Amino acid sequence: MSRITSHPVLPIPEGRKEVGFSFDGRPATGFAGEPVASSLVALGVSRFSLHPKDGAPQGLFCANGQCSQCTVLVDGIPRKSCVTPLVEGMDVRTLEGLPVLPDMDAPLAQAERRAIHTDILVIGGGPSGLSAAYELGRMGFQVVVADDKEKLGGKLVLQTHKFFGSEEDCYAGVRGVDIAGKLEEKLQKLPNVTILRNAPVVAVFKDRKAGVYKDYSSYLLVEFTAMVVAAGAREKSILFPGNDLPGVYGAGAFQTLVNRDLVGASKKLLIVGSGNVGLIAAYHALQAGIQVAGIVEITGRVNGYKVHADKIRRMGVPIHLNTTILRAERGAAERGAAAGKGGARVARAVAAKVDDQFRPIPGTAVAYDVDTILIATGLASCDEFLRQARDYGILAVAAGDAEEIAEASSAMFGGKIAAFALAKMLGKRIEMDATWLPKRDVLKSRPGDCFSRSPVMPGPEWRPVFFCSEEIPCNPCTTVCPVSAISLRPIRGNIMDLPYFSGDKCIGCMSCVGICPGLAISLVRRVSEDAAEVVLPWEFQADFPVGAQMDLVGQDGTFLEKAALVAKKKAAKNKTWLLTFRTGLANATSIAGIRVQGPEATEGEKLAEAACVDADALVCRCERVTLGELVQFIRDNDVRDINQLKTLRVGMGACGGKTCSQLVGRAFRLAGVDPATVEQGSQRPLFMEVPMGEIVNEGLSSLGGKDAGRRGAP
Amino acid sequence: MRTYDIVIAGAGSIGVPLAWQLGEKGFKVAVIDQEASWGRGQNRAAIGGLRATHSDAAKIKICLESIEIVSTLEERYGIDNEWYQGGYLYVAYTEEQRSAFLSLLKLQKEAGLDIDWIEPEAVEKLSPGIRREGLLGGTFSPRDGFASPLMTNTAFHKLAKDSGVDFFFNTRIDGVAMDGDKVASISAGGETWRAPLFVNAAGAEAADLASLAGVDLPIHPDCHEAGVTEPVERFMEPMLVDTRPDAESGNYYFYQANTGQVVFCITPRPQIWGRDKGSTSSFLPLCVRRMLELYPRLRNLRVRRTWRGMYPMTPDGLPIVGYPEKAKNFLQAVGMCGQGFMIGAGLGKILSETIASGGGYASPAGSTGYGFVFDELACTRGFDHVELLK
Repeated sequence: MSRITSHPVLPIPEGRKEVGFSFDGRPATGFAGEPVASSLVALGVSRFSLHPKDGAPQGLFCANGQCSQCTVLVDGIPRKSCVTPLVEGMDVRTLEGLPVLPDMDAPLAQAERRAIHTDILVIGGGPSGLSAAYELGRMGFQVVVADDKEKLGGKLVLQTHKFFGSEEDCYAGVRGVDIAGKLEEKLQKLPNVTILRNAPVVAVFKDRKAGVYKDYSSYLLVEFTAMVVAAGAREKSILFPGNDLPGVYGAGAFQTLVNRDLVGASKKLLIVGSGNVGLIAAYHALQAGIQVAGIVEITGRVNGYKVHADKIRRMGVPIHLNTTILRAERGAAERGAAAGKGGARVARAVAAKVDDQFRPIPGTAVAYDVDTILIATGLASCDEFLRQARDYGILAVAAGDAEEIAEASSAMFGGKIAAFALAKMLGKRIEMDATWLPKRDVLKSRPGDCFSRSPVMPGPEWRPVFFCSEEIPCNPCTTVCPVSAISLRPIRGNIMDLPYFSGDKCIGCMSCVGICPGLAISLVRRVSEDAAEVVLPWEFQADFPVGAQMDLVGQDGTFLEKAALVAKKKAAKNKTWLLTFRTGLANATSIAGIRVQGPEATEGEKLAEAACVDADALVCRCERVTLGELVQFIRDNDVRDINQLKTLRVGMGACGGKTCSQLVGRAFRLAGVDPATVEQGSQRPLFMEVPMGEIVNEGLSSLGGKDAGRRGAP
Repeated sequence: MRTYDIVIAGAGSIGVPLAWQLGEKGFKVAVIDQEASWGRGQNRAAIGGLRATHSDAAKIKICLESIEIVSTLEERYGIDNEWYQGGYLYVAYTEEQRSAFLSLLKLQKEAGLDIDWIEPEAVEKLSPGIRREGLLGGTFSPRDGFASPLMTNTAFHKLAKDSGVDFFFNTRIDGVAMDGDKVASISAGGETWRAPLFVNAAGAEAADLASLAGVDLPIHPDCHEAGVTEPVERFMEPMLVDTRPDAESGNYYFYQANTGQVVFCITPRPQIWGRDKGSTSSFLPLCVRRMLELYPRLRNLRVRRTWRGMYPMTPDGLPIVGYPEKAKNFLQAVGMCGQGFMIGAGLGKILSETIASGGGYASPAGSTGYGFVFDELACTRGFDHVELLK
């Protein structure tokens, strides 16, 4: 694959230190400090290990430290490459089968227990965790925020798009990656808040201590009085044959590679799922110069915001409704090869239409030549620490996605609300701003009704045209307009209402065009009897000259006309290009966007079959257990308890059931068992593996030090 | 009303293999358990060691039978249970340990156990990288081994079902009706169950159940934590047991499973009595330090998971097996002291054979030769002998 060397939104850091390392004995280079996984993906490596059970190639999957699919040998020791920083001279190798425990037999040098105390432990430094920590810190509590990444902000740091919501409450119109910085800056001003970076919490114990795997190299116990669980969410996987191939992964993993580590992780991909995550992933891919063959959605409607979906369609990405992925295939040369041989990566995705029972319809299969399949079929709360805390009677609240899956804008409010709830439980006499709860509820609303707008006639003066027709919580166009010419038409009486141009005061400043997260506002004016000028937002490379002819499309992506670019300028505040075209008068107010990729990128090959052997789909990736094996076992043994699936090792792998727990219900259903009657699986620490030497801190010479933080140390 | 030949309370380490062997012998058997499925009491927490290396003849006999059954499940029934015959190695680093282990050898060998003292070189060969400084040797019993308690219990459950045993899960026993010194029926899940013979195999809940029949059992659970690592290529053969106490702990032990994972456990000091199964923050730093002191190579091995389970302890560390005076048809198979998994299969065989040969209150062994087992483990014993290898 490759590195991303230019990006319309993200700055390409200069002067990064290139270091040499070796992969399977061959010399290679990467950037110092980046995850080894990203160095490998940039080198084109898809196969990180060969599974001990059947030699199947294992590739990067979560890119988030949660699963263990990216394990490689680093200097002879198995490590998760997505959380191991690259260091000059590293000897990195494909892990083939089980690792050999190195015979490092020198006596134990030392063992020490490190502990710090705090009032409140906040697990997770994303939008909700940072907001909660800020509020609790302001109230005077000692707070420790433990986050598993170097850079705070959670998934915000992966978001190059502008956020919905309102400017006043949640930075609407600002890109996620920039919001993260603002939240962190606020928090750092509070002296009683200690931030532990690169510090995943791996366990919550009954004696009100949390085990923290600091810098993925030492073990710190944080003793606390109460806890905020703001650990976010993890991506749900789905079942189809080939779902385990390298090149099939979550949209979040893809965003990490592309937007955080600037690795060109793919040439062309297919997205499964049309929620906001899937829609945004398409946008991120196009920004990174990656083609998108399409989005398949098994239901009959787009799951995310219509304004997102329209935007993606305008860019040239089709959304195939009532369509499912049938299977992922390796390349032709590799298809017949035995498992473990060859470079084994996705080379083709086969999709088909489904009937109203979600069964594939024979004769509708289409194959797409893609190297990557992104799964964006939903998120599941990371609530294991909350459940653990409640089992132990520990005072704990959840915030953000760990509480309920919703947008980051509502997570910020959720964090504040959780902070106040916890403070009250801890006996603070304090009242929350009464507007927060209703605001949060609006921000996490599902989209409301769709409205059609009356046709607009272009006049001689600039005026905005809105391609925003579905109620979603968003209003920055109204607050950015310097002459207050845009307002929400009050039907619901909150920011779900749709914006309308409320007069003739438009001064053509283009602020609304630049701020709209949906890229759903144009400015139009008539310039002659049969021509108009249209201003459109553009969030891609603009390396074309004025005078260039570009394909302009309507709200849903329908081609309308080729038009010449007459002016371009970049809105410095939000890095959005504002492109002015001279168009025909007839289309002017219908033109909503600019095509980014042509139809050739989205063509597939019709196949004559629609066979789907789900039994071969992998439920448990760690231990490689298929759906078919599970169904058989459930039938043979009258299983009514998820814990019994451990007999097949389901849930016993390195990840601790993070992926398969979302999938086993299907196996019970296929075996004729109602999942509602099945006993839930129990969860146990650790939630991430830690080497024994690091549990006893053998490598540390003294107590204290930078990671404990001056304020947090006892 | 449900009527059976035998009703077993508890679908765990003891109840399930017993049910299977009774089912095989033609008895109509019901197994009742309050959990949602089999093995969900303490079997789920067992680490999988199976040794006949004990300090008394009854347990040695029972566990030799267990090894025979558990080690041949795959061969006889085609069910994998991850059995690995790595042996048990009690290492000695002090003279006290050495003389204690040596003093047991005679009794152990007489009871049929294959065990001997081995020198430090042999210890190192079996567990390369083990600390040599101060190592005096150890006793090694090569026929002991380890298996997955989960897979083994699942196998027994499947075999029991195939032999006609009925299982009733999510069913809690809430009453025992007596008829003089016999149990007439029990009530569970809103139904009444009648049988000529009832069995208490309720593990950590056994004393509570027995008390419903007016039987007092000196069983008190204490808690132990255990852990498992990632899998690696085999580097050690036996279960290593280090019996040296330190300030915070008693003995600890670990082995490398058939899957390559290292499974470990420690006895806290003082013992933690009760039923709390929540994981504590002190277990890993303590147990891991002790393991690394013994076996530094483990430093690069990643801990995957920890859990906690109960050892239903008796005063002398030996199980209670027999028919109490106050409830003469209520066979007790309880107080396994954390060894239910290793005892269950063999005890199931012995009990099923004695029941089939007419065993009961007056003559528990029936016409079998297992009288010494019942003598040693009787409910009515003095509990003054102390099991040295508990």
